[in-house]
Amino acid sequence: MAALVKKLPGLIATAKEVGTPKLMTFWKYAKVELAPPSPADIPVAIGDLSTKIANAQKQSFRKWTVNQAVVNTVVGLEVACWFFIGECIGKGSLGGYQV
Amino acid sequence: MAVTLPEPVRVSPLIKTCRWTALGLGIWWGTKRYAALKAEEDEIRAYNAKMKPIWDAEKAAKAAASNREQMIYLAKESGTPIPEGF
Repeated sequence: MAALVKKLPGLIATAKEVGTPKLMTFWKYAKVELAPPSPADIPVAIGDLSTKIANAQKQSFRKWTVNQAVVNTVVGLEVACWFFIGECIGKGSLGGYQV
Repeated sequence: MAVTLPEPVRVSPLIKTCRWTALGLGIWWGTKRYAALKAEEDEIRAYNAKMKPIWDAEKAAKAAASNREQMIYLAKESGTPIPEGF
């Protein structure tokens, strides 16, 4: 235990050295890909949404290629997963409501 | 790191809005359900805590009665005299 405590500052410094570039890479991608919508994005999104609803109503999804269908399904599933992550945050536990 | 990583993908605003709206809805739903389930569970716990002494007393009375019956039976079978008011 004492040996571990002695090694700790060295370990933390190594972790920082190794981790910082990786964190910077992650941050570079997260800033663009995971960012919340800016206020300018929201009217664009609403416009897009009405287009998509119109497409759904005239059933243009029947003309999708298999590739398009797969990609769109996966994107839909991903959005659904954000809901479930939010639920986990709200209920304060990863598995089940700990009442 | 010999590989060059690709440029980050520019995500469509609709997808961004949907994702973060879904996240917010999920957090709200999670807190709401948690509060409701906790209230129910607290009620059940309170009821059990209230009834526990009553149930314990009932169980103890039943156990005492059955014990008395068994002792009387044993006394009869073994011919032991039963004391007054047992």
